[in-house]
Amino acid sequence: MIEIDHVSQTFRTSGRQAHLALSDISLTIEDGAFVSILGPSGCGKSTLLYIVGGFVSPTEGQARVKGRAITGPGPDRGPVFQEFALFPWKTVLGNVMYGPRQQGVKAAEAEAQSRRLIEMVGLKGFENFYPKELSGGMKQRVALARTLAYHPAVLLMDEPFGALDAHTRTRLQNDLLNIWERDRKTVLFVTHSVDEAVFLSDKVVVMTRAPGRIKEIIDIELPRPRRRAELLLDPRYQKYVVEIERMIDDTSEDGLRP
Amino acid sequence: MNARALTSDVLLGIIPIALAVAVWQGISSFGYAPVTLLPPPGMVFTRLAQQLLTSTFQHEIASTLFRLFAGFSIAVILGVGIGLAAAASPVVNAVVRPIVRVLAPLPKVALYPALLLLLGFGHESKITLVAADALFPILLSTYYGASMVEQKLIWSAMAAGTPRRQILFKVVLPAAVPSILTGCRIGLVISCIVVFLAEMISSTDGLGHMLVKAARTFQAVDMFVPLITISLLGLILNGLLQGLRSYLLRGFPEV
Repeated sequence: MIEIDHVSQTFRTSGRQAHLALSDISLTIEDGAFVSILGPSGCGKSTLLYIVGGFVSPTEGQARVKGRAITGPGPDRGPVFQEFALFPWKTVLGNVMYGPRQQGVKAAEAEAQSRRLIEMVGLKGFENFYPKELSGGMKQRVALARTLAYHPAVLLMDEPFGALDAHTRTRLQNDLLNIWERDRKTVLFVTHSVDEAVFLSDKVVVMTRAPGRIKEIIDIELPRPRRRAELLLDPRYQKYVVEIERMIDDTSEDGLRP
Repeated sequence: MNARALTSDVLLGIIPIALAVAVWQGISSFGYAPVTLLPPPGMVFTRLAQQLLTSTFQHEIASTLFRLFAGFSIAVILGVGIGLAAAASPVVNAVVRPIVRVLAPLPKVALYPALLLLLGFGHESKITLVAADALFPILLSTYYGASMVEQKLIWSAMAAGTPRRQILFKVVLPAAVPSILTGCRIGLVISCIVVFLAEMISSTDGLGHMLVKAARTFQAVDMFVPLITISLLGLILNGLLQGLRSYLLRGFPEV
């Protein structure tokens, strides 16, 4: 379980002004839940993810994982970034093996595991390629495999499909759901796409524009496993999308008022 | 880059050099300069070929190369070490930054008389001068390369379980390699220049010394031989570094 307890985050900007990015966020995420954080750009949703990752410490409040305060990054929480952040000096196999090797897994064993993961994300045959030789979608598959390789209990996904074209995004969403249905990791998924949030999640957290506050938490009660084609025709799905889109429009207007 | 593109690159690179040699030939053929002062290229290259076979000339080249490599290696080790340390630690940076600001623009050759007095006329003073001159471009490019490593690469490694103190060698150093190699390339060219210069000022051997000795006795052909030699050496060394670079950076996007 992840508990975010009255977390606020202030950044000092260049003009020595304090910029309040997150304001008093409290949120509990159950084990095995797929939770999306949705909001307009600049609402601090990524910052919230970085706080859970331990990359950024909150100015106020506390984030806990399994009851323990988060003080830094750890292999129990694996990030996947929009920018992929693959190591350019390592091959696909080298990137995926990095985590297990850091965890002290023997080279041969780490390699065998990594090869299986690479196959699982559909990149068999690309083990010895360098990231620069792959397309965006393939890079993100490698990044996902690299993170899954050290068996994190929680996946922290920071707009992971934001840089991909629509077709690739849809395929990766399906693949991510398949992987999730199988091992039911806790997923915290940051996105600005309403569609994507509703399709993937058990719960959608809608945030307001800066300073980021939680506006609403919506439980998505749609049957699983979810098939995109069926879902698009489902009136309940359409209702969620319309409802949440309206909410986001409201938060945008809030932001424009002086 | 494939083999054919590489070959055509080399060919394209040869054309301007061939033109320069042709102009040189033209100047002496049409009598704009007396042959005793500006010998034609054919004469110089013939002498170079003859000299290359003599053990005295080989000894001069060896001395120069030894000083160049020793100085350049020291510059690489110190430059990369200090640059990384400054990027990793604000305390080191606070100490290094003002020192670099003061020393970097200083013409290092001005230190040479002092180095001669301190270290003598042998290898040490020349190696020190080469190292001092080549150090700063390597140090600065290492520092900037290491400071600009993408934050998310570091986060990815930390989440995978890399302890903070290992991040420097597991992520920052390999990510800074493109920038470090650019610094090395500049440092290598500077090393070639400075080793020659130091040998010209005071030496008993080496290519620079050969040039000065020939100039003092008005032996124009012998004066041009070490000049051509050092530029050929520079060309070869740069090619080797380029090869190392494309091997080390095979995963990095083309810069």
